[in-house]
Amino acid sequence: MKKIQHTGVIREYDLHAPSVRVGYGFILFLCGLMVVVAVFPLVWVTLAGFKNLKEFVSSTSIFPESFSPEPFATTWNQLGIARNYLNSLISVIGSVACALIFNGLLGYGIGILKPKGHGVVKKLVLVSLLMPPTISIVPLFMNIQKLQMGNSFLPLWLSFGANAMYVILFVQFFESLPGSIIEASRIDGCNQLQTFFHIVLPLSKPICAVISIFAVNAAWSDFLLPYLVLRGAEKQTVMVRLFVFSTEQTVNADAMMRSVVFAMIPPIILFFIFQKQLTENAVSVGIKG
Amino acid sequence: MSRQGNQMKTRAKLKGNIQSWLIMLPGLILMTFFVWEPLFESIRMSLYKTRHVELVRFVGLDNFTSVMGKDDFLQALQNTFSYTFWSLLIGFVLPILLAMLIGETTRGKSFFRTAVYLPNMLPGLAVIILWSAFFSGEKSGVLNILLGQFGVPAQSYLTRAEWVIPIIIVIATWKGAGATALIYMAGMSSISPELYEAAAIDGASVWRRILHILLPAIRKLAGTLLILQIISVFQIMYEPMVLTKGGPDNASLSLMQLMWQYAFGGSMNYGKASAVAVTVTLILLVMTAIYSWFNRKESDWD
Repeated sequence: MKKIQHTGVIREYDLHAPSVRVGYGFILFLCGLMVVVAVFPLVWVTLAGFKNLKEFVSSTSIFPESFSPEPFATTWNQLGIARNYLNSLISVIGSVACALIFNGLLGYGIGILKPKGHGVVKKLVLVSLLMPPTISIVPLFMNIQKLQMGNSFLPLWLSFGANAMYVILFVQFFESLPGSIIEASRIDGCNQLQTFFHIVLPLSKPICAVISIFAVNAAWSDFLLPYLVLRGAEKQTVMVRLFVFSTEQTVNADAMMRSVVFAMIPPIILFFIFQKQLTENAVSVGIKG
Repeated sequence: MSRQGNQMKTRAKLKGNIQSWLIMLPGLILMTFFVWEPLFESIRMSLYKTRHVELVRFVGLDNFTSVMGKDDFLQALQNTFSYTFWSLLIGFVLPILLAMLIGETTRGKSFFRTAVYLPNMLPGLAVIILWSAFFSGEKSGVLNILLGQFGVPAQSYLTRAEWVIPIIIVIATWKGAGATALIYMAGMSSISPELYEAAAIDGASVWRRILHILLPAIRKLAGTLLILQIISVFQIMYEPMVLTKGGPDNASLSLMQLMWQYAFGGSMNYGKASAVAVTVTLILLVMTAIYSWFNRKESDWD
């Protein structure tokens, strides 16, 4: 039974000492407390969603008077959140596709093809990793306006095709692939693009999965560039809508809490489906967050 | 014959190179459009007087002097350093402690890992709005309800100048600490168990094992994560923007928020906004340089 082995500083034999046993109990208590702190706000916001406005501003209880789902349905319909969900979905799908294709191809060039001069590109990508992204949001927004790509999903999708972090992750993974397979496909007469789609991509499912999960989450959560680009109400994503609510204060506090719940549901579902991949790969990608 | 063969080889190589560059081209165009050119452009723009998206005329460092001469810049600069200070105080050691605690557990380790990582997956904007209700000054604010159980009277938290920055950092730490803890856990798991065994045989207590084996092993990782944390907290923007709008009385205004205000807060002064952005970049570059200088010195001594 590998699971019950002590892998930390404290080993089995230490537990014979009563002081260590007490300390170990205390560690478990702290871990439990940690879970409560991490999860309680989510439980609370969901409970708050069941309250109506009067109850929300005056009640001093964390629990709502009733658990009728009606307030959620009302807010969903009144604010037309379905439309925003659809927009977010469109934005997410395009973003993930761009993140995989463009960063993947660039990573393929840097990591496997290595044409003359690829080192310069690799350095440029590494340097842009250090550059804070929000700093260039003004000129980027100007570029988008100049090309008249405003009020469209296209610039948002394409922006995911230019992610230095994803490129580096692809490069690292590709460099670990056995060169003999790629050589073999070349001898079999595949050109470089065919090699990428028939040989490299099928071997790269793990890294593609990781980058997809992170791109889905990033595209769903992003609101600064989408807010600037998607000015029309008919294209607003869930997050842009929430940002507008919070800056213009046009919705009541209780409806706001329900909107927060709506905004959190998809990432939470994603999290529970992929929690294993996420917590295991947090090391390689976590630095980004 | 051999010369012909060589020629064919170089031609094939050239063809391969061109093909490779063509494959990289779409990605390169996107990187140029979305990352490299805007970075370069923001430096250029900071030196120009701008009207909407047009550069009107070159003004040298006028944007910088005009931006820096205002009270709100000094306030924002001071606040940004204050954010960094609080972030290091609250958010630097906590992930290490979390990683140590979870690392000691046996049963339920993956459950604990999952739970602490969860907040990191939530959209930052939703997290901020959620916590704004938590710290609400009404008597229905969650913190007031909780503290009310202990007889603490209801009070307003986000309108206190001395509390807003620590509160924003607490929220950011709640979101990010779990993910950082997982990175530390990976670092700690690479410590060979034999080291602990050997130390234990030599009679080293649990504390001494932490002090002499665990902490030295993660020192380098901690250094890297420290500089990354500073870089990221220095760019804090939407948190105060949404939570307090920079208030009360600019007490939580950050530098990047000031940049956003210049650009999109009505005046559309992109030149001045870029001046703020470039200033932030320069400060970050200096800090990174100092860090790598210290780091180099350390590795020289090792």
